[in-house]
Amino acid sequence: MLEFLDSPGVLQGIYITGSLTLFFIGLYGLLAKRHLLKVLISLAVMEMSVYLLFVGLATSPGETAPILADGLATFTGMADPVPQALTLTAIVIGMAVLALGVSLAVQYHRLTGNADIRAMSELKDS
Amino acid sequence: MELQLTPVWFIALPLLVAFASPLWVRLQLLMPLLFAVPLLLLVLAISLVPVVRAAPLLETIVIAPPLGIHLHLDAAALVMLILFNLAGALMAAFLWLGDTEPYLRGRQPFILIMLLITGCTGMVLTGDLFNLYVFLEIAGVSAYALSALRRDRGALEAGLKYLIIGSVAAVFFLFAVVLIYLQTGQLNMAAVASDFAGIPAPMQALIGLLLLVGLGIKAELFPFNFWVPDIYRGSDPATAALFSGILVKAFIFVLFHLVFLLLADPDVARAWLMGLGALTMLVAELVALRQQDLRRMLAYSSLGQVGLIVLALGFASEATTAGALFHMVNHTLVKLLLFFVAALMLRRVLSLRLGDLHGIGHRMPVATGLFVLGSLAVLGLPPLSGFISKLWILKGFAAAQLFWPIALILLAALIEAAYYFRWIKVFYDTDPAKAHPGIMAGPVQGAPVYLPLLLIGGLLLLFGVAPFLLEVSFVEGAQSLLAREATLEQVLGARL
Repeated sequence: MLEFLDSPGVLQGIYITGSLTLFFIGLYGLLAKRHLLKVLISLAVMEMSVYLLFVGLATSPGETAPILADGLATFTGMADPVPQALTLTAIVIGMAVLALGVSLAVQYHRLTGNADIRAMSELKDS
Repeated sequence: MELQLTPVWFIALPLLVAFASPLWVRLQLLMPLLFAVPLLLLVLAISLVPVVRAAPLLETIVIAPPLGIHLHLDAAALVMLILFNLAGALMAAFLWLGDTEPYLRGRQPFILIMLLITGCTGMVLTGDLFNLYVFLEIAGVSAYALSALRRDRGALEAGLKYLIIGSVAAVFFLFAVVLIYLQTGQLNMAAVASDFAGIPAPMQALIGLLLLVGLGIKAELFPFNFWVPDIYRGSDPATAALFSGILVKAFIFVLFHLVFLLLADPDVARAWLMGLGALTMLVAELVALRQQDLRRMLAYSSLGQVGLIVLALGFASEATTAGALFHMVNHTLVKLLLFFVAALMLRRVLSLRLGDLHGIGHRMPVATGLFVLGSLAVLGLPPLSGFISKLWILKGFAAAQLFWPIALILLAALIEAAYYFRWIKVFYDTDPAKAHPGIMAGPVQGAPVYLPLLLIGGLLLLFGVAPFLLEVSFVEGAQSLLAREATLEQVLGARL
């Protein structure tokens, strides 16, 4: 009954809608939320949506991992390895940036007792 | 085995030196190395000038035959490399010779400055879009950490703001790269460029927009530059010099490298980029008029110059592009000088507000004199180099019979004169009643710290008196930046 979900067109539509929804949820959080950690989480959600879109659209159903093992001898019917390698790299980079961001946020909160991004006005010209 | 002098050294050497830093701490070589590595690479870059003049250097680091990372060193990239390493060496000399704050002397700033230079060099050299994203993040992360180094309220705030806005830019850029890969199946810039015209027009527009937002934030274009003055205000002035001198230049270069490479017909983007450049310039110069903090004023002035460079590069004629490359070099030198002077004043006066700097010209005559020299170079007064680069840009527009940019550039120079002289007037104020009571709270700076500043001043004069020394390099840089067909042929021909 749900076989139609396996057709590439529908599947890609789901991937696109889902990841774009995530992207805009992240963008909304970034613009509307005031707590530093929530802003950082929104950033992570935005990044995640781009990864999902990339991996989702670059593979189609039925493809296997591009690894020559388990009796497989040739690269037929295999997924393109580039998007996955790139996504892995991007996840690592995103993780590092997020860790730096959270550590700065924690230090800032310890120093000032403030975690509200709109109350950060030290640098404005008065 | 002979060491080959290939472009990869510009990336590999600072990375290796940065990651071996515990060793340098033990040997007490941190500051000498921070100075020596950019200097060595500067010498290497200058020695490569005749080689690159004959033909651009291409290097493919092969993982397995179809996959590989591709470095492309042409005349324009070489100008940027020389500039970055020169700026890096000057910055290191300033930190080394001066009475520098401890948080700028240790292992952390050493690694971060090295990585920042590596990231910028990599962005300029790479011929691969995803590799570009990686270098963009390397430069970005080191910049975020550098601006938060002081660990007080202002620095942490600057670091956090920079991290958030920079990551948003990186996400937009990554999104554009993902769409390009999904559309063309390529990541090599030249290969993407040859397939780009085949992408459906709405998708081209979306990719262009995402790239413009991503790189526009990083390259500090209006309306994406609201965050810049806060960052420059919160970071240490010496760090801000690095951002304004190296980081922004790398992003402007990347933006235009992609525009010139991807678009067969630059007319599409010309109106957009020139408009953004002009707006950036005018808005920034006008806001700079009423700044009360030296760092914020310099930040807005930096934005104004970025706008001018984008305006000139966006026009994409050979004369304006050469002028813009020259102006990039000038602006880097000038902003290094002005921010270094700001750093010296901050150490001495412990404040950079306009009201606290009354009469500082009588107490710190050399520093203030250098500030005046730098201001005159920004304004473009002969015989300083700013005059020549602005003249080239104006001549380029005049030759194309386009007069509105000329009027705007001259207007911007007038506004610049107004705010720079406002500050200079305060510096040389003789009224003792206005002098801030806390003035001169900091220690007197030693003489050696002025060496890099005097060197910059000398270079500004030299390039102003003898621009023909550099003319060939800039014209060749402009030609190689604009020669899309030739680049595609070299890269794709070399890959086949």
